[in-house]
Amino acid sequence: MATARATTAQPAPVSAVRRDFSALLAYVLISPPVLIMTMLIFLPAAQAIIDTLFVADNATGQSVFSLQNYIHFASDPILVANLQFTILITLATVFMLFVVGYPLALYLRFSTGRIAAAVQVLALFPLFVPGVILAFALIRFLGTHGMLDTLLHLVGITSYTTPYLQPQGIVIALVWENIPFTVLVLTAGLRQVEDAVVESARDVGANDWQIFTRILLPLSTRSAVIVFCLNVIGVFGAFTIPYLLGPAQPMMMGVSMQQTFNNYQDRIGALTQAVITFLFCALVGILYVRTVSRAR
Amino acid sequence: MAMTTSTRIRPEGLGAWRFVKRLRRDAIGLLLFVALFIVIIGPMISVIFWAFTEQWRYPSLIPTKWGLSYWQETLSRADIVTALPLSIGLATVVTLLSAVICLPASYAFARLKFPGRQALLLSFLSTNAFPRFGLYVSIAVVFFRLGLIGTIPGVILIQIVNTLLLMIWIPTSAFQGVDRSLEEAALDVGASRLRVFLQVTLPLVLPALSAAVLLTFVSTFYEAQGALIIGIPNVTTMPVLMYSIINSQVIVQYGAVISLALWLPSLVLLLFAQRFVRGNAISAGFGV
Repeated sequence: MATARATTAQPAPVSAVRRDFSALLAYVLISPPVLIMTMLIFLPAAQAIIDTLFVADNATGQSVFSLQNYIHFASDPILVANLQFTILITLATVFMLFVVGYPLALYLRFSTGRIAAAVQVLALFPLFVPGVILAFALIRFLGTHGMLDTLLHLVGITSYTTPYLQPQGIVIALVWENIPFTVLVLTAGLRQVEDAVVESARDVGANDWQIFTRILLPLSTRSAVIVFCLNVIGVFGAFTIPYLLGPAQPMMMGVSMQQTFNNYQDRIGALTQAVITFLFCALVGILYVRTVSRAR
Repeated sequence: MAMTTSTRIRPEGLGAWRFVKRLRRDAIGLLLFVALFIVIIGPMISVIFWAFTEQWRYPSLIPTKWGLSYWQETLSRADIVTALPLSIGLATVVTLLSAVICLPASYAFARLKFPGRQALLLSFLSTNAFPRFGLYVSIAVVFFRLGLIGTIPGVILIQIVNTLLLMIWIPTSAFQGVDRSLEEAALDVGASRLRVFLQVTLPLVLPALSAAVLLTFVSTFYEAQGALIIGIPNVTTMPVLMYSIINSQVIVQYGAVISLALWLPSLVLLLFAQRFVRGNAISAGFGV
């Protein structure tokens, strides 16, 4: 009798205890990475904003709110030119990535067989080439008297001017670097549109262009948004490629920050530039996190 | 009426139409392949050529004199002899630390119910939502105050940041993908929870876990920007060394030999990863 009562009465408390225990265990297990992320991402970013907005007052020695660091940035023509240059390179690179990425993604979405597999391997190949090696390879390939120059020379074109140390060099390399991610995500998005939908549009007489713009694009906007966001943030925060392949002036913000921090030892100046890049990417970053969250 | 005409037309037209369509698609495919091959593989070929060059005079398409003499010379340079073991050691430590920190967490994210689970999991996307170099500069300023600039612990910490998303999201989706009924069946026949985990769950997630570990190791091995800004001037990894070799480029072959030697681990990964690329493991690392 006692045991029977126990078994009927107990299930609720036991499962509640177990649930509490499992939640507690979960928090213990996830706290190390959450802590690291907080200390190495959120705190430094918040600290950067505070450090640049509060300036020691000369008279009292106390920190007071001031836009002085940002005014200094805005009144320095070189830094402003760097910011404009970064925005321009970002727009050009992201535009080119869509121009290159969509045809590849469309082809891979609708094709099977050996040729498609080979195209896919090539499109994903840059994923396995680290930035420093890519920079070196592109200098040898695109540089004056490089392989491309030689090839063109063989077919009689001698007017080749190298994009190395030019803005175009940065765009070419950043497009190269980001093709795999772009194609991977765009293809995944296009795969979510079912064959039947495409077939029925074709049956009512839609041509390829109409199918792309009226069916495929609207039904795969999520993947396009992710591609857009991560490429914008990626290019805006780039360092290796613009540092090794870009012109000395103007510089992209990554290069500019590194010079300010390492060469001029101007930490507040570097932080101001960092916060400005955060600001420019904030909207895009929020859009990215929201797009991914909504899908899950 | 329209339907009958279309069904009547199709039989004789269909075969030829399909053939033309496939031909057109294959032609597009070949065109894309050739274009990609020149653009993607071309630069890599120039690196390989340069690594085995004694002399290369413009406008020769291939080296005018082949040879291996620069390999010995490059690989015995003092800076490389110290940087290579350092890079391998750092990448190993970062990967192990990241696995110890992240894998239990990914199990919790996949299997345990707790308030805020989804939001916390998504918060790791923020490692992607910041412009990378701006974030590194912010970290560098904090590290400067803590005296971590130019130290190995400083470099390890900044490189761990990069690994979090990959090391949490790929294993989490792997643990979520395990069929719970298999585990329940093992429990029913009397296996202990530990045994079920070791003999049923673990083998099922092992491919994804090893993909995550391998991707983390390789991406950490090649990580250059964080190591540059934090490591200066005492800690010089191989990729950081590449910056100065490319910028000073007195002898092209040095850079070519190092690039080729450095690139080998990545090539191994490429072969290994073919299976995972299709399994969407890599896109999970982007939060897709």
